[in-house]
Amino acid sequence: MRAPWLVVALAVALLAGGCGRDADRAEVRTVTDRFYAALDGGDGETACAQLSTDTRTELESQEQKACPEAVTSVEVEGGSLTRVQVYVTNAKADLESGEAAFLSKTPEGWRLSAVGCTPQEGKPADIPYDCKLEA
Amino acid sequence: MRRFVKENGLGLFFGTLFLATVVAQAFVGHADFNHQQLAHHGDPVSLGRYVVSSDFVVDVLENWQSEYLQFTLYVLATVWLLQRGSPESKEPGKEGGESDEDQRIGPHATERSPRWARVGGLRTWLYSNSLVLVMSTIWVASWAGQAVAGRVAYNAEQLDHQEAALTLAQYVGTSDFWNRTLQNWQSEFLAVGSMAVLAIYLRQRGSPESKPVGAPHASTGTES
Repeated sequence: MRAPWLVVALAVALLAGGCGRDADRAEVRTVTDRFYAALDGGDGETACAQLSTDTRTELESQEQKACPEAVTSVEVEGGSLTRVQVYVTNAKADLESGEAAFLSKTPEGWRLSAVGCTPQEGKPADIPYDCKLEA
Repeated sequence: MRRFVKENGLGLFFGTLFLATVVAQAFVGHADFNHQQLAHHGDPVSLGRYVVSSDFVVDVLENWQSEYLQFTLYVLATVWLLQRGSPESKEPGKEGGESDEDQRIGPHATERSPRWARVGGLRTWLYSNSLVLVMSTIWVASWAGQAVAGRVAYNAEQLDHQEAALTLAQYVGTSDFWNRTLQNWQSEFLAVGSMAVLAIYLRQRGSPESKPVGAPHASTGTES
């Protein structure tokens, strides 16, 4: 009876690896917290270091300024983290203000791909969030 | 050893094929996953991480569940449904669970019958349906696994597009879940149905899945 054991093995593998590991969850929290704390403190350099390359490029292209200067003008509400969801290589962090941030696993680690995001009207699973900064 | 291999060739052959193909699937699935990651400027993952990821698990389980469903249904359907001329069908008049005598259970069991076929009661009922019970359990377990793993893979895509993640209950109502499910079911039902019908007219010399080459088209099951 090989197959039932493989089903069990796959189920264990799924539980062990498929649903966001603790280390990923912790890093998502750290990166998100660090970004908002840096913005609060006017530290554009640190805030930019938490963004993905694509998001930084998009911001610089929109604002026609270097990222550390441009990022301080992004108006996000922030607040403490209320929930973190990690799915494989993508994550979402919900903040007390009702805003959300989206992150991706990049070669540099977890980085923010979109911040200052709020759900648009309609089903949030069918319509992308409206984000103040995204790649 | 040689005798063991000869007497178990069918199970060993398909067991080996299964292992070889699931390993091959892991390698090519891993390459495909990382190709997508690089296209989105994401981080490539290791093979070890990939084979425990929901992306790999859902791709495996969506096929498993449909195979086990196919064989469960086939075993059950052939109890009652006939296909005149097919070696896959029972002979006309034998529809249903058949008599205890035909099935050699209870007082009709022989010395060589399995014990649970002899003892009667719940154990004999369970044993009489054990094939379908086990196959359907594997089907349900792998379908449930497909839903759990499919949701994680789907939610990764959702977050990548800045959309909200779904609960398991919401996911099993999505087109993604049913598309994965039905694309596998339709192919299984086509294959098994066409096998039952093609075997009326076509032969494979030496295979127990076929009638003897010279058997008439009208002969059904094991009748000659």
